[in-house]
Amino acid sequence: MTPESAVVAVSSLEAGPLVLGEVDFRKLEDDINRPLESFPTRRWWIAISCTGLLAALFVYAFLHTVFTGIGAWGNNNPVGWAWDITNFVFWIGIGHAGTLISAILFLLRQRWRTAIARFAEAMTVFAVICALQFPLVHTGRPWLAYWLLPLPNANGIWVNFRSPLLWDVFAVSTYGTVSFLFWYTGLLPDLATVRDRARHGLRRTIYGILSLGWQGSNRAWSHYEKAYLLFAGLSTPLVLSVHSVVSFDFATSVIPGWHATIFPPYFVAGAIFSGFAMVATLIVIMRKFFRLEHVVTEDHLDVMNRIIIATSLMVGYAYATEVFIAWYSGAAYERYVFVNRAFGHYAWAYWTMVACNVVIPQVLWIRKVRRTVLLLYPVVILVNVGMWFERFVIVVTSLHRDYLPSSWDVFSPTWVDVSLFVGSIGVFLTLMLLFARFLPAVSLAETKAILPGSQPRARQGARPGGDGHG
Amino acid sequence: MKPERPEVLAPPSEVSRRTALQLLAASAALAAAPGCDRKPYRRIVSMAETPEYQHPGEPLDYASTWTEGQVPYGMMIRTLDGRPVKVEGLPGHPLNRGASTAAMQAAILSLYDPGRPRFPMRGGSRVTWAEVDEQVGEALRAARSVVLITRATLGPAERSLVKRFLAACPVARHFVHETVHDGPRREAWRTAYGRDGALRPCLERAKVILSVDADFLGTDGAVLEAIAGFAANRVVGEGARGAESLSRLYVAESAMTVTGSNADHRIPLRPSASLALVEGLRAALAGDRGALDRLAAQEGLDAKVLEGLAQDLAARRGEALVLAGSHLPPAVHAAVCLLNDEIGAPGATLEWSDAAPALAVDAPEAISAALAGGVDVLLLLGVNPVYDWPGGGFEELLSGAGLSVGHGLFADETVGACALSLPSSHNLESWNDAQALAGVRSLCQPVIAPLHDARQEAESLLVWTKLLAPGDAGLAALADWHDYVRAEWLGGVLAGAADARLAWEDALRQGVVGAPERAAVPPLRRSEAEELARGPLERTEGGLELVLLPHHALFDGRFAHSGWLQEFPEPVSKLVWDNALALGPATAARLALAEGDLVEVRAEGRAVTLPVLVQPGVARGVAVATLGHGRRALGAAREGGGSNAAPLLGRGAAPRFRPEVQISCAGGSRRLVRVQKTFDMHGRPIVLHGTRADYERDPRFVRERLHAPAHAQLHGEYDYSLGHKWALAVDLGACVGCGACMIACQAENNVPVVGKEECALGREMHWLRLDRYEGGDPENPHVYQQLMACQHCDNAPCESVCPVNATAHSPEGLNEQIYNRCVGTRYCANNCPYKVRRYNFYHYVKRNLSDALQELAFNPRVTVRSRGVMEKCTFCVQRINEVKFRLKTAGTESIPDGAIRPACAQACPAGAIVFGDVNDPESKVRAAGASPLAYRVLEELNVRPAVFYLARVTNPHPDAAAAAPPAGHGGPR
Repeated sequence: MTPESAVVAVSSLEAGPLVLGEVDFRKLEDDINRPLESFPTRRWWIAISCTGLLAALFVYAFLHTVFTGIGAWGNNNPVGWAWDITNFVFWIGIGHAGTLISAILFLLRQRWRTAIARFAEAMTVFAVICALQFPLVHTGRPWLAYWLLPLPNANGIWVNFRSPLLWDVFAVSTYGTVSFLFWYTGLLPDLATVRDRARHGLRRTIYGILSLGWQGSNRAWSHYEKAYLLFAGLSTPLVLSVHSVVSFDFATSVIPGWHATIFPPYFVAGAIFSGFAMVATLIVIMRKFFRLEHVVTEDHLDVMNRIIIATSLMVGYAYATEVFIAWYSGAAYERYVFVNRAFGHYAWAYWTMVACNVVIPQVLWIRKVRRTVLLLYPVVILVNVGMWFERFVIVVTSLHRDYLPSSWDVFSPTWVDVSLFVGSIGVFLTLMLLFARFLPAVSLAETKAILPGSQPRARQGARPGGDGHG
Repeated sequence: MKPERPEVLAPPSEVSRRTALQLLAASAALAAAPGCDRKPYRRIVSMAETPEYQHPGEPLDYASTWTEGQVPYGMMIRTLDGRPVKVEGLPGHPLNRGASTAAMQAAILSLYDPGRPRFPMRGGSRVTWAEVDEQVGEALRAARSVVLITRATLGPAERSLVKRFLAACPVARHFVHETVHDGPRREAWRTAYGRDGALRPCLERAKVILSVDADFLGTDGAVLEAIAGFAANRVVGEGARGAESLSRLYVAESAMTVTGSNADHRIPLRPSASLALVEGLRAALAGDRGALDRLAAQEGLDAKVLEGLAQDLAARRGEALVLAGSHLPPAVHAAVCLLNDEIGAPGATLEWSDAAPALAVDAPEAISAALAGGVDVLLLLGVNPVYDWPGGGFEELLSGAGLSVGHGLFADETVGACALSLPSSHNLESWNDAQALAGVRSLCQPVIAPLHDARQEAESLLVWTKLLAPGDAGLAALADWHDYVRAEWLGGVLAGAADARLAWEDALRQGVVGAPERAAVPPLRRSEAEELARGPLERTEGGLELVLLPHHALFDGRFAHSGWLQEFPEPVSKLVWDNALALGPATAARLALAEGDLVEVRAEGRAVTLPVLVQPGVARGVAVATLGHGRRALGAAREGGGSNAAPLLGRGAAPRFRPEVQISCAGGSRRLVRVQKTFDMHGRPIVLHGTRADYERDPRFVRERLHAPAHAQLHGEYDYSLGHKWALAVDLGACVGCGACMIACQAENNVPVVGKEECALGREMHWLRLDRYEGGDPENPHVYQQLMACQHCDNAPCESVCPVNATAHSPEGLNEQIYNRCVGTRYCANNCPYKVRRYNFYHYVKRNLSDALQELAFNPRVTVRSRGVMEKCTFCVQRINEVKFRLKTAGTESIPDGAIRPACAQACPAGAIVFGDVNDPESKVRAAGASPLAYRVLEELNVRPAVFYLARVTNPHPDAAAAAPPAGHGGPR
């Protein structure tokens, strides 16, 4: 693919410098490694204390559920899944931006991705960790959850390959593994840099082990580049497959409101939407606190917001299609689900979802909003809220009123439900803070490669392929 | 399970059987209750020498008697290795023919109830029975006045014992106390026929039935017999003319009851207008329609329905029947006697029985008067007046007694307040007899030695009688109450038998002897009846009329200790763990009351606070409360909510009907938990029904109402033609919605009780539920009921989604749940279109166990499920396998149709549930499936359920069809 045919939306970035100000390799290294090499700031300690408390709350609620049972939640008979699976899908969705940025944008040669790729990849790994907690704890007997793995056993009982939950096990574990390896592979040269800059022996040893003996030889770089490309290729279909498979949990069921063929693309679009919103939410804070505004520029925010508005339109289109098809199909149960969503007990959740995901992101058409932190921040926060409600609406409103009116009921969350969700945000943010403290949050090697003068230029206006590393 | 055998196994000698059971029970109970000092009063024989009829692990069934609502039914108790595990109806009993009620099914739970007192108490400390007898004997000998209060349901042997007691103690007076009884009705019969006795309705012969506030399918009278008789005429026969056999039910009622839910025409009517209705009908039969028209105009009734009713009563002479509720004043019953006479009911749809099963109840005034001056000894045997005294205030009467003796199954409000608190043994631990009908006697025998240091009331009375009459050689020859009953039988029913021992053993084996004697109804004394029927009834214009009904499951409160029955959804409101004041929507709106609002109900100075229940169908100007809740001496866990409505009972001729009560807002509210929240069918084709006209136009009319295109199967079809293919058919026409099946299922399958809070969260565990839908006018809705349990779909959506294969399909078409394998993802429950799967959100079983004794109530053939595991109806797979194994070891592979019956089908009094093998060409279930009325719920999903329903065919009067349920499926309300 030639660079010119790459995503047009980034042309403004391509025209200008990717890193602002007078930056040379030395200063860039200093800037990016500063959080690692200085004693944590007061603000970092305050932040991790807060998120750590929330993470502890998560652990408490998790153990409470394991020891007492699912009864600690608000789930009931028609509503067998509620916040548990809502949170699972929410976190899996958050992870999507990371893989999209690091794999698909890499293959598309979008050099602006460099500044946010590492951060987004880390987010992916941590989001998958958070996501995995929910299917684990939502089983009534979590100590037997390993039965979902196809382990040979003396009883000769095998897992049920027809079950979308089993597909989830494969899809999510593959996704988690590949995402981690991809992230870690990308980290190797930077870990070596940290090792080389280390003045303390212990620090040098730890980062030495983590960097797997990276020496920066031509051979190593050559293998590294190949491996990175391979992982990018492997991850790309996963971006599409994971959320498609997650959507099968619903799409293959017989429950009106779940049973819809639009679900796979709708879920993938929604996942990218929520993922980018979360990247924007966090990176805005990170660039401010770690003084990386010249690396993660307003141009980056602008591009991310363009993707957010594009996926917002896709999601909005999916909402409209669902409603239209429910009406057009003539299926009474299907129609009722959508009438009930819009005007029933959970109408407030439905309209919150529509407002946050479709209506409010429209302000991102305005260039000033896309580029102004204080203006765009409320929007991306609300997108996160809206996408959580989207999953809630899908999971709960479909279940609480399905075929036989005699079993209709409503769901209300308990303190454990709330603690698990809020706590999982704490776990996620704690991991992000630790990451920002102990690992380079921006890819050093890649960013060096996009500094002015780092690439050989054969002729004006064309860049050789295979750039980005070195 | 075993099919019913006419010769229910009984021991060669009652002595060895009892002792054998004693040992087993002793080991279990001693392990459970180490504090118990049990002194078996007969030899203990080691089970090493097993009786020849007993095989380890093989169930033994014993025949016995269960009295409920003043009616003694036959009961069959299944024991496993000496331990009672399940109760069924006795097949050979003429009243219930094998069917059972919810409370009868729950008897097993109360037997092992850890709340039962374990020894006699005097003033808070334990005493021995010898000390009790010494004290009571001395007190009785010295007494100048003694009052004995018992229930109305004493058996013949108990009645004879009471007589002997009264003879031995001349200063004693015997009173009968009950709150729910048919006193007004019997008073009218006595006046109208000049004799004491009872009119018995023969519903199987009635083609036009008018119920005047009589819940004869719910709680009023011999319900099991009535349901069977009624259901027999609600099933469409073969062919296009099959609907001609349908009966027509008119129900004029104040409350919304099970009977009203089954009506072809329901007429909401306040009780004070019931006399006018009956008199209007009499006038209409005599040619004067004016009174009916005036009544219709005055009460806002559908004149066409009343006209149709009058026509039907006139046209179906000899096939018509009018019943009036036992709470109505005697005047109404007298008028009904006259009306029945005029439509030729006596001898055709009504029979006479000289043997009334229950004693006449004494007026509370009479009892109060006897107690007023203070008595020396007050014996309260099996009654709970402190709880249910009309108007309240029995405590003062009790405190005036020199020695108060309370004898009861539980240390209830009364027993706990007495100086001597004596524990009674349970029905399953007791000897007794009963007279169900003229000519029919039944026996009640113990199937386990008393678990606690308890003694049955009759035994105590016998001991005390002996103390008072030491010179009575006849009594002295009888060692105990068992001997007394036996002697009564040998001298009475079995007199003249060639071998007394064999005759007695045979009677024990059968449980019931004799055949119903049909007696002609005595000639009606018209002038006396007319005199009594003179109206009008007292009525109120401004206030509300109050009707007090027994609770469908707790009755008058005597079953309130049972978690199963507390959690049994009341069939109409689906309310659990609570009672309430039911008001119609219009009445509630007029008083600006919403569901749950607490109101104070006042009648003659007595006030009770109850939450409001807005119940469609309750007549305007009427409030309905149920008795039986608000018990306060059962232990916090089992009391549930609810308020005691007994203080509102009147003291007149009809204590359960109060012509005028005042209602005022008490402030605050109470959360009422209904396990079903939505009663609107939303126009969905779920409960299908049509009128007789629909059926006659096209017997396959249900097909028009279903959208079930022919479905292709992506994968190959499984071949079920080899072996068995189990299926269940439910006849919605026959099912009246009594709910006995729910408790039968709970007892058979160890379904846990979850409590009010969990029910409020929507986590009730009943495998089998009774769905109820209401449509049409909220003031008088049409009702559609449907039994709903696992449909055992061949294309089961639950099976494909379970990641660990914990639910799978058997080659015999069963949807099986493998508890051990289940990790509890709940995906199966989500994907069940019928929402019949039940999840153990907590370890409900462990939560409920406060005493190892309770574990004995579990059916040992069914796994007890732990936390985090899904469960659901299994078609009683343990019963299927039991029969299969038994027949296979006997050398046959073929299973006769009807040999396997799930617990629900066995309990059903209407015979509405049929289970069998559709591969058997002769099976009833296959025939039901071939019926033109057969359909499956949600057929269009192609899940292929193994449960099919026969649509209900109603029989409204053709001229009043507009008032009948609309054709189709409810329709939006």
